[in-house]
Amino acid sequence: MADDASSSSGFTGNVVDNSINQDELIMKQQREIEKEISESIPLVGDLEQLASLEKEYNEDPIYLLKVKDLSSKYKYVRRTRPDGNCFFRAFSYAYLEHLLTDKQEYDKFYEIAKNSKDILVALGFSQFTVEDFYETFMEVVQRVGEQAGGSPDTLEAVRTDLHDKFNKQGYSDYIVVYLRLITSGQLQTEQDFYQNFIEGPRTVTDFCRQEVEPMYKESDHIHIIALSNALKVGVRVKYMDRGEGSQVIAHDFPEGSSPLVHLLYRPGHYDILYA
Amino acid sequence: MANIASKRIKREFKEIMKSEEVAGGAIRLQLVNDNWTELKGEIAGPSDTPYEGGTFVLEIKVPETYPFNPPKIRFVTKIWHPNVSSVTGAICLDILKDQWAAALTLRTVLLSLQALLSAAEPNDPQDAVVAKQFRENPHLFNLTARHWTNVYAGGPNAIWEFNQKVQRLLDMGIDEHQARVALSTYDWELERATEQLFS
Repeated sequence: MADDASSSSGFTGNVVDNSINQDELIMKQQREIEKEISESIPLVGDLEQLASLEKEYNEDPIYLLKVKDLSSKYKYVRRTRPDGNCFFRAFSYAYLEHLLTDKQEYDKFYEIAKNSKDILVALGFSQFTVEDFYETFMEVVQRVGEQAGGSPDTLEAVRTDLHDKFNKQGYSDYIVVYLRLITSGQLQTEQDFYQNFIEGPRTVTDFCRQEVEPMYKESDHIHIIALSNALKVGVRVKYMDRGEGSQVIAHDFPEGSSPLVHLLYRPGHYDILYA
Repeated sequence: MANIASKRIKREFKEIMKSEEVAGGAIRLQLVNDNWTELKGEIAGPSDTPYEGGTFVLEIKVPETYPFNPPKIRFVTKIWHPNVSSVTGAICLDILKDQWAAALTLRTVLLSLQALLSAAEPNDPQDAVVAKQFRENPHLFNLTARHWTNVYAGGPNAIWEFNQKVQRLLDMGIDEHQARVALSTYDWELERATEQLFS
């Protein structure tokens, strides 16, 4: 837009308005592509054998070796929709699923989650919107808590319920938004620390407004570090890319923690891994 | 989805009605249809700006995917501002595009638009002509914006000289708004504006 501005001396601002239409056309097209993706891939998919990854890489020896390495440690994978929210969605799904079988961890998490709203409001987030997302988030969390550590039969019902909720755009996106807020809150609370991770002249607050709080913005290391610190949850990310070697490199967040959530990263996307 | 959007808008509507900005007359919000997808906003021109004393009406359309996508907003009241198209009322503001976050609300958007009237961003313009004048001839920009505020938004400051020039073109049979746009575009030089209009 700024480029057009300098070249335009035209009448009634038409030149720039045309470029806006271009912008809007591109945005519209992008939305259509996104919609197409969203219709073909569930927000959170069913459990699949890890071998299903091999099919994607039939003619790709580097990736095939890495899938093989991965299968020595993991049995299943659960795919998430590649819509830029995948880290938050994968993380929350995998963690809540874990909490179903770990009552002690649930109790710890419940306290942290309960206090999170006040932290956000104290940081200046509008009470009105924070409450909205908090309530939906806690509704899902509490449903998990009712049965956490229960018998396998009752767990199955909650599992199905969790899976349904994560595939309902409303619930699912509300959870993503709330985790984005928690991440933003953590970054801002510890700005002196996180400033070191941000390239260029952006402040932590700018970064949060531009890269953390808006939906569909992809997550980087800094998001994962902040969220795992805020919730005190260990996350292991297996990085599978075209890099040298046959091994899939693992990163634990925060460093040295024992991971409860295992994610598979392929450039631009996160899925869930199961041992 | 649509359900989430309308539930959220209903809550926002209640919130905004209780807000001090509404009480103070700085912003207003009204429903346009029954299914909560279209609203009418109003912001008061901030003091110490050329928009002071004017009331600016906004068209607000709430997408089905709200609050995960931003509301679509444009100025209905014609306004002379670098970040608003003088033709369509389209707005260039980051939070209405890629920096929208679901934690924002119609209230915060209206307040941001009001702030935009106080502090234009000429480096990210929506209207190149206005932005150029804003940068190169700030005094004339101020007068022009004041004039538009007076004519279209009910602002108190009439600019006598500008009104005279518009009248001259009216006398030649030119449409009033067209005349004003041409004059504003050509820094109120009657001759150049006339030339353009009859070219």
